[in-house]
Amino acid sequence: MQRKMLAGALVLALSAVSSACDEKLSDVTGPTPNLQPTLSSIQRDIFSSTDASGRLACTQCHSDAGGRTPSGGLNLREGVAFAGLVGIASRGKPGAVRVIAGDPDNSYLIHKLETRSDIVGVRMPRGNGPFLTPGQMLVLRRWIALGARND
Amino acid sequence: MNRVRIVLLVLVAVIGAAWPSPGWAQTRAAPVDDIDLDLVPMQPDFSLVTLPTTLRLPRYKSAFRVTHRFGRPLAEGSFGSLAEDLFGLDSGAQIGLEYRFGLMRGLQVGLHRTSDRTIEFFGERDIWQERDGHPVSIAAVAMIDGTNNFKDSYTPALGAVVSRTLAPLGTVYIEPIWVNNSNPLPSELSDDNDSVLLGIGTRLRVRPTVYVVAEIIPRITGHNPGANQAAFAIEKRAGGHSFQLNFSNAFGTTIGQIARGGTSNDDWYMGFNISRKFY
Repeated sequence: MQRKMLAGALVLALSAVSSACDEKLSDVTGPTPNLQPTLSSIQRDIFSSTDASGRLACTQCHSDAGGRTPSGGLNLREGVAFAGLVGIASRGKPGAVRVIAGDPDNSYLIHKLETRSDIVGVRMPRGNGPFLTPGQMLVLRRWIALGARND
Repeated sequence: MNRVRIVLLVLVAVIGAAWPSPGWAQTRAAPVDDIDLDLVPMQPDFSLVTLPTTLRLPRYKSAFRVTHRFGRPLAEGSFGSLAEDLFGLDSGAQIGLEYRFGLMRGLQVGLHRTSDRTIEFFGERDIWQERDGHPVSIAAVAMIDGTNNFKDSYTPALGAVVSRTLAPLGTVYIEPIWVNNSNPLPSELSDDNDSVLLGIGTRLRVRPTVYVVAEIIPRITGHNPGANQAAFAIEKRAGGHSFQLNFSNAFGTTIGQIARGGTSNDDWYMGFNISRKFY
């Protein structure tokens, strides 16, 4: 009887511990507290919105709204961003792929946002910042690592 | 924070109440008759380098420990440069202060604070002792540490310490420990938020009061960054004091720090532990 009570108490303790101690995602994502590692969330908080830090929305340049030509041939407007990103070759750098599902380190989108030495052109967003925060980059990387799904 | 306090209470309740020590009722003698007051030459201290031992702390008695890890890797620069730096003495350090108290017979609790502002609370409940005829000694341990003076990033853990004395050689230890929230990232951004450690250690008695100590703490499953923490040391006991000169590939002394692993298998640091029993 005592062993059953002990097992029950342990299960209770483990459950309480697991749920109590995880960090909050919103503590990491800074100016976009609702950002999640899903395309719909990234579209809403990163691609389509200027955030509280003053970082410009990607769609200010990468959009066909109003009949414009998207900068670099990359259209990040809602509904078409997935088709222009995942498995699609970069127009700026031969051989580079914008997003390689499951491989954030080799996805050119990440290189452009983190200003790797191999990029063609300038770091994104264009200008002198603000750029995506390290927490926002972690979310973007996580979406790609999870398979860059159209979710 | 309130939830963490509740968790802490639950852990203490589980460890403290659920395992009445064999013979506890008939051995509630006055502390002066307590067998736990006797020196155990094969197991003279409450820790190896970082891992706990099964040594019992007598009721209402206490012990103090200082942990110190110099910040300069021993392989950095020339030997002359290292000697000029007194093997890391001039390069800063991570320091820890620890105090433990025998709350009741077979139950000790304590806290450990390191200079990176991490605070760890821990408890250890004795289950078996070899001296009672069991093949091994076993203790249950529970810990929780939090960064920023226990305000952020809580890392709780539950585990067991199993020891076997190989007199007159020394004692060997196996310590399976489950560590929750070992990954400082939110679970949405990580594959694993727990680690299971398997601490393996020994304290060998090479002279009547001199010991060689070694431990390695591989993460056998779950979050597993960096290098598995390992350390070896030489230790001198002098009455209630133990002086330990150690070499390790990490600064970790709390359970969360240990679970997050060492910096590299190539970087080794000198350090020391000094402990004092107040009985």
